[in-house]
Amino acid sequence: MLLTPELRARIEQVSLVSKRRIRASYAGRHSSKRKGESLDFADFRPYVPGDDYRRIDQALYARLGQLVVREFEAEDELTLRVVLDVSASMNLHGKHLAARRLAALIAYLGLAAGDRVELFAVPGSTRPLEAGPTGHHLTAWPRLETWLETVAVGGGIPLAPILRTLVGSSKVRGATVIVSDLLDVEWERALDGLALGAGGIVLQVLAPVELDPDLIGDLRLVDVETGSETMISTSEDTRRHYREVLEAFVEGVAGRSRKAGLDYLLVPAVEDAAERALAALASEGAVR
Amino acid sequence: MNLLVPGALAFAALAGPLIVLYMLRSKRRTVQVSSTMLWDRLGAPVAAAVPWQRLRLTPLLIIQLLVLSALVLSLARPFFTQQALLGPHTVFVIDSSGSMSDAGRFAAAIDRAEDLAGQASTANLISVVQAGPEAQVLAAFSRSPDVVRSALSGIVPGGAVADLSGAVRLARGLATPDRPTNLLIFSDGGSGPLAEEPVIGATHLPFDATSADVSIDGIDAESSDEGLIRVLVTATNHTTASRTDRFEIAVGELPAGTFELEMRSGGQVSKTVPVEASAGDVISVTRLGDSDTNPMNDSAWLIVGQGPLRTAELVGEPSPFVEALVRSLPGWEESDEGEVLIVDGGELPEIDRPALLFATDTVPEGIEFVELVGNVPVTYQRPGEPLLDQVDLSDVAVAEAQVVDAPGWLPIVRAGDSPLILLGSVNGHRVVYFTFDVTHSNLPVQVGFPILGARILEWLGGGSGASVSTGVSGDPIVLAAPVGTHPEVTRPTGEVVTLEESAALYKETTVPGIYRVRYVGNGLEQTGPTAVRNFVPAEAGVLPRTIEVASPPDLETEETALVREWAPWVIGLAIVLLLLEWWVGHQRPGLRRTKVATA
Repeated sequence: MLLTPELRARIEQVSLVSKRRIRASYAGRHSSKRKGESLDFADFRPYVPGDDYRRIDQALYARLGQLVVREFEAEDELTLRVVLDVSASMNLHGKHLAARRLAALIAYLGLAAGDRVELFAVPGSTRPLEAGPTGHHLTAWPRLETWLETVAVGGGIPLAPILRTLVGSSKVRGATVIVSDLLDVEWERALDGLALGAGGIVLQVLAPVELDPDLIGDLRLVDVETGSETMISTSEDTRRHYREVLEAFVEGVAGRSRKAGLDYLLVPAVEDAAERALAALASEGAVR
Repeated sequence: MNLLVPGALAFAALAGPLIVLYMLRSKRRTVQVSSTMLWDRLGAPVAAAVPWQRLRLTPLLIIQLLVLSALVLSLARPFFTQQALLGPHTVFVIDSSGSMSDAGRFAAAIDRAEDLAGQASTANLISVVQAGPEAQVLAAFSRSPDVVRSALSGIVPGGAVADLSGAVRLARGLATPDRPTNLLIFSDGGSGPLAEEPVIGATHLPFDATSADVSIDGIDAESSDEGLIRVLVTATNHTTASRTDRFEIAVGELPAGTFELEMRSGGQVSKTVPVEASAGDVISVTRLGDSDTNPMNDSAWLIVGQGPLRTAELVGEPSPFVEALVRSLPGWEESDEGEVLIVDGGELPEIDRPALLFATDTVPEGIEFVELVGNVPVTYQRPGEPLLDQVDLSDVAVAEAQVVDAPGWLPIVRAGDSPLILLGSVNGHRVVYFTFDVTHSNLPVQVGFPILGARILEWLGGGSGASVSTGVSGDPIVLAAPVGTHPEVTRPTGEVVTLEESAALYKETTVPGIYRVRYVGNGLEQTGPTAVRNFVPAEAGVLPRTIEVASPPDLETEETALVREWAPWVIGLAIVLLLLEWWVGHQRPGLRRTKVATA
């Protein structure tokens, strides 16, 4: 069980906030670019035959002598894409489990809000992008949870082209949530690709030992995805320098995310990662 | 610093390989990481082609070099020499005088002696001599610290004068010819110089603590016209300030009043206090208030009078010497129907009480007269006989003596095979039989004659009445147990000591207080003498002094030098450094580290 009943109960009381207007096929609870039937006034336009005469602004007609209709904002259903990084690097230090819990958190948030939730794993077992189950109501949760519980870790593949393809090719501009350690040399391009969508969240998952490594001695570091090697001799100075580089990296990811219109959250891969993430999202205003 | 094994310093060369190990690049351990991306940005040192690297003085290397140094030093066994108190044979002379009771000197001396005994090895022989009123050997040539400690624990501090000179002489008598003997004198120096000073081959371990003490120096009594007893109390303030103390006077167990004495520093004050008491009563004076550093002299006791006089009846043809003997003995007087019968020559009357017989015409029952012999010298004194304690009869010559055969009697003085003085029993009464007339000998002119006479009368009169005595600590108590009984002495501490039937003296009276004697046995239980022993005034407020000592001219310094090794300390240092090395080598666990920001 990725989410505890207590956490699910808490999630059902909040919903994701989309920062950008969306365009969807179905009515929902999020502001749309289309004009619709909501109570929120949007604009005026000249009357054309066929318009609902009940929308003619009688006051303006009396003052100006022109037939003008009032337009209102439409409320569309949000498409929420949850992209789970299952590359080999996520298989270290418990990051895979933490990432799946975070993906489950986002998916449950979407389902609880009536959004259309789509799950993806990058890379998939047979192709770069594996599409998981889709749902738009909590009744779909068991299918989504089962898929998240069983999704396996794949190999190493650059994220950027896959995300660009996923977000850019979709007919529906929904929000995208990426759950990844982003330890990818092309992490900037990957985030830029997400900017094509209707906003979203970057959940960067890093293990405690990656935040504060406890490596000792002369080491040969092997990249689990690329197989590349780096020789280091650790010392207190080395570790302090690493922490400085990591801090700069994290700051860079956060800044790039904001630039792409995305919320950003760094989550340590710990047991209560989902609870921490929910609390942090609430404090950031990404959910309410 | 001296080294027992200087060659072990060669192990210091191991520092070379240790340093070489630090200059060698270690084989790298392979660790899988999520990405090398961040590590690549470090510009961290990467592996070079050569197996060597520049030596860097890391804390770990420095600590390991220190550990190696400590281990090498411990192998080299550094040492220092110390003047040894314990030699091949050491005699502990423990001063148990009254002044040692002051300010914890005695306890400190015993602690030091026990500590030294604990340091002794099997190569050290230790003897213990107590310097009390009489010097005595408590342990001789012991290799066992337990035996020495047991002997030390048996020494009881008292209020008596210690015979330090006698103890030193006794200790010298224990000197062994095959191994040097040194004396350790545990003392505050005593109240005056020793005759032996400077004491050759001795070390004086001074115990010179001083502190405030007020002592009761004397207590005396005399009858007043009003029928009261006037008790004279004398006290001395040994402190450095004037003070006023309150004292309580009691008769027996009943308090009879209190009084105050105002004493200037170092001053002695007396006061007369009238009390109602009668002969034989024990009067005690006790200082009230906080106890000072020597509680032994905070109380004093006095027995009023000397108890009822004891009587002896002289019959036969008493010589002037025998008559003078009875009259001169304190506490004795001549009387018809006296407790003790003295028969000097003539016919032997019926023995119906203890009797002292001098060559009667008819010998008593159990003795068979053989013949008379002339001009016989004393050739034998029974060893250990209490009646002959400190009585030397070796110069006694007898002009005429009876030769007797007395198989059931105990001869205590003989001339050859012929008994001169016999102890026995007739009709259940003690009898002492002289086989010669004292006027036919030079016994009456011997120094020991009155002592011998007093002893014999005390022995014969034992149990016939209570005797009392007031004295100072260390004065013996004269005992005279009736036939078939043994003395039991109740000490001031409440301890009951059972003595042998033949015991004539009880000498363990160094503790001030009241001693009560009972004679128990053979169905009898009779009250014996009561005696009080007071703290010797001269032992109060004794200032410490140093006993002059000197080294024996032939003592080799090597025999008294003690080698002390630093190894335990160096090894301890090495262990601490090893722990430090582990801590540093394991990245200082337990130390707070800086956490990276996570948002």
